Amino acid sequence: MTRTPDLLPGTLDLLILRTLQKGTLHGWAISERIQQISEDVLQINQGSLYPALHRLEHQGWIEAEWKVSELGRRARYYRLTASGRRQLAIEAREWDRMTTAIGRVMKLA
Amino acid sequence: MTFNDLKLRVRALLRPTRVEQELDEELAFHIEREARKLIDEGMTPAAARRRAQSRFGSTALAADRCRDERGTALIDDALRDVQYALRTFARAPLAALTIVVTVAIGLGAVAVLFTVLNPLIFRVDRVPDIGEMYSVDRTRTADGGPSPMTRSMFEAMRADTHVFTDAYASVPDIEFRVDGRTMAATLVSGNFFQVLRVSPAIGRPLMPVDDAHAGGNAVIVLSDRGWERHFHRDPNVLGRDVLVNGAPFRIVGVTAAGFRGLEEGGPDVWAPLSQLGQFRPADRGREDSVGVDVVGRLAPGVSKDTARVQLVAWDSNRSTDTVDRRSTTLDLLPRRGTVDQPLETIALFAPLFVAFGLILLIGCANVANLLLARGVARQREIGIRLSLGASRRRIVRQLMTESVLLALTAAAGGYLISRVALEGAVNWALRIVPVDLGNVNLGVPAADWRVAVFLVVAAVVATGFFALMPALHATAIDPVRSLRGELVKDARPGRARNALIGVQVFASALLLICAAIFLRSAMASARFEPGLRTADTVLIDINSEPKRAAMIQAVASDATVTAYAAVRPQLLAPLRVALADAGAGKTTVVFKSVSGSYFEVLGVPIVRGRTFRPWERDQYPVAIVSESVARALWPGRSGVGETFRLEPDSAVRRPGGFLTVNPGAAADEGVVQARMVTVIGVARDVPGFRVTGIKEAGVFLPTGLDVAKTSIVARVQGDPNLARQTLLEHLTTVDPNTGKIVTLRTIARLETFFLQVAFMVSLILGALALLLTVSGLFSVLSYLVEQRTREIGVRMALGASARRVTQLMLAQTTRPVMAGLIAGAGLAAALATVVLATPAGALISQIVRLTDPVPYLASLGVIVAACLSAAWIPAARAAKVDPMRTLRQE
Repeated sequence: MTRTPDLLPGTLDLLILRTLQKGTLHGWAISERIQQISEDVLQINQGSLYPALHRLEHQGWIEAEWKVSELGRRARYYRLTASGRRQLAIEAREWDRMTTAIGRVMKLA
Repeated sequence: MTFNDLKLRVRALLRPTRVEQELDEELAFHIEREARKLIDEGMTPAAARRRAQSRFGSTALAADRCRDERGTALIDDALRDVQYALRTFARAPLAALTIVVTVAIGLGAVAVLFTVLNPLIFRVDRVPDIGEMYSVDRTRTADGGPSPMTRSMFEAMRADTHVFTDAYASVPDIEFRVDGRTMAATLVSGNFFQVLRVSPAIGRPLMPVDDAHAGGNAVIVLSDRGWERHFHRDPNVLGRDVLVNGAPFRIVGVTAAGFRGLEEGGPDVWAPLSQLGQFRPADRGREDSVGVDVVGRLAPGVSKDTARVQLVAWDSNRSTDTVDRRSTTLDLLPRRGTVDQPLETIALFAPLFVAFGLILLIGCANVANLLLARGVARQREIGIRLSLGASRRRIVRQLMTESVLLALTAAAGGYLISRVALEGAVNWALRIVPVDLGNVNLGVPAADWRVAVFLVVAAVVATGFFALMPALHATAIDPVRSLRGELVKDARPGRARNALIGVQVFASALLLICAAIFLRSAMASARFEPGLRTADTVLIDINSEPKRAAMIQAVASDATVTAYAAVRPQLLAPLRVALADAGAGKTTVVFKSVSGSYFEVLGVPIVRGRTFRPWERDQYPVAIVSESVARALWPGRSGVGETFRLEPDSAVRRPGGFLTVNPGAAADEGVVQARMVTVIGVARDVPGFRVTGIKEAGVFLPTGLDVAKTSIVARVQGDPNLARQTLLEHLTTVDPNTGKIVTLRTIARLETFFLQVAFMVSLILGALALLLTVSGLFSVLSYLVEQRTREIGVRMALGASARRVTQLMLAQTTRPVMAGLIAGAGLAAALATVVLATPAGALISQIVRLTDPVPYLASLGVIVAACLSAAWIPAARAAKVDPMRTLRQE
């Protein structure tokens, strides 16, 4: 019902982890960042973003912390943990492998 | 699940409001930030806010999915189920109440039994490192009888072996009277408290110096129970004196609650073992031949088997100057303050658990039937939930939550029922138990956490029995059809219902047959004649030999006593075995010594010859034999005037009954010399007492009351209990330690008494079972009639007569009831056959009339009548259905 049809399944986690590699961000900033960098191609469904963040937090890949935001009120900031960094490396490698493979098939088949 | 995950879950569980608030705040921030961006792009604040909210979608849904990720959903669901269940109960309180009461009765029944069993098997004594405690069990190799150590052997064992860190000796179950009430003492060696590593709650423990052989201290330590019972927990009890057979003993300490000195019940006081002569005057001067229990704390690093081997070696290497040279075996038994053989006790209790469990089973079957009916009634509700997307598993869980809640409430109710029932049973037993059996150590066992755990587990198991099947039935429906209001055939659990009725009838039949058998046996036993004059006979022990002459004088001068005689050993004690040789080989006989008036006092006729004359005393070469012994030794002859050789044997014939009366009574220790005796009389054979197994001797030898260790049998006039009381008061002035005076009537009634108890227990259980069954049958049939009103209306409209309709409804129950009856009676008969085939079968069948057909027929008749009347009302209601009205309702 609320799932994004335009995002490949499993990629949201990867995108979040990659976005957080640069530093700590709150939920809105993560979705904004992904949208900007992808030049509005990737629109993050907000209804999926927060469950994903909570899931990653439970897996111990990211950590949350309350900090004062640019608006002057406190917001929940997420940060990559050491194990999150490792997970990102694994998933990024996997992603490369997949896209290369798919690209090859698309070109040559 | 990672640690991090666990941490977050626990946080969410422990601080749910905080976590919820944070989640709301996080989502709210997102929307505000989005709105700010839109405002910066030139939107009005109100429009920006609306736009941001709509872009985000439902915050509630997002929050919900976050919660799912958090993993507290299971608990949230459970809470929701509980809320839903409570609403359901509020809507149908009568059904909920019926279920709770029914299950509570069943749980109460099993809780009663568990509470009784708990202290015997599970309630380990409060002693540090109790796993190290072992008792030394020494038995004769020949016949497995006990061959306890004496105090000097115990001291030698302590000195010679090192398998125990230390060990103590004790003599338990010593009764003495204080202010008219019986106190139970255990005498212990001075190191008792040191070995157990227990110190009293107040005061000091017994110490080795208190137990010194000469000049020990006359001190006692109270148990918590003794403090409660005899001193009402008086805080100033230390330093007070207790008179034990005339000598003052100072109270120096009180132990904490829960410490029982490694005994099942535990005594009221502990006293130094060196004071044995004061506590039990009969043992004065022979202290070292008294058997003691030896309990030790295994030394570190010594296994039980090593310790046993070393002790056996020590035992067989002991110097040969010991009195006891017969071969013995020695074993170590764990000592925890619970029964030695827990498995045996459980086996003993197993039939009772089955009987009490049957009540729970019937209750569960009733509730299951009720739930099946309600499941049909709730089909619409369940159909709606299924079509709204609830999974079947989810709804089954919901229904099970309801049932577990009811069962747990029932567990609390069952606890109350068990307390009331136990209280009532103990009061009843205390009222009817014969007073002259001495100190009846009967109290309501305390319920501890084990009883609580048992009840909760039993409630959950019971839920599995009564709720799972109905829940599965109720959810096996087609939502679309059930929404249309059609009852789906699958959800009409006819077969399951019949099976449940069958089980109930089966259990009721089993219990009622037992009750009827016990009633018939009790009635038969009340008419049984032991052949001894029981109505006005009392037994008087002489405990103190120095007081013998004064005691006899007191008995002889007492106005209530009309006749008296001497007997050795005491009438209820085990008899000695001897070999009788009349020239044609040896025959085993049991013998006792009596004075001439014995036969007259006990009403045993001398059929031939005469009784002893006053001058015929011990060692005088005459004897009286029973008819059966006379027949065995001199077949076809009268027996009078014959001579035979009597050789004593070391064996003792213990009464083979179920019940030991007078456990303290020792077998006659006076050794009779082998000699030739002449038969001067033949006494009639008498049956004796069955349940206690006390039989009359085959050979009687002469003795007199002035001979040591003889007891008195006396005939009294007037009410024997009253006479017993006056005698007790009279004799107490002569010997303050006069312990027991037992009327023979009490012994004769014991048998009837126990059968009555068995009858009452099985009757109460059987009546409960039948009541539950009948009410279940009634409600199920009423429900069926209601369900089938339409069908009945159609049948009647098509010409079925009211009689046919009634028959149709009755026929519904006939088959399960008949099946249950046949199974119940069959199992009862099978059990009786099995019992009769066991070694104890012959003895049991003498007392309990297992194969009597009357109880079977009577109880089956009762059940059929009860079921018929329960079924009649709904069936008759079915016949009153007005076909026009039901058809119009269509």
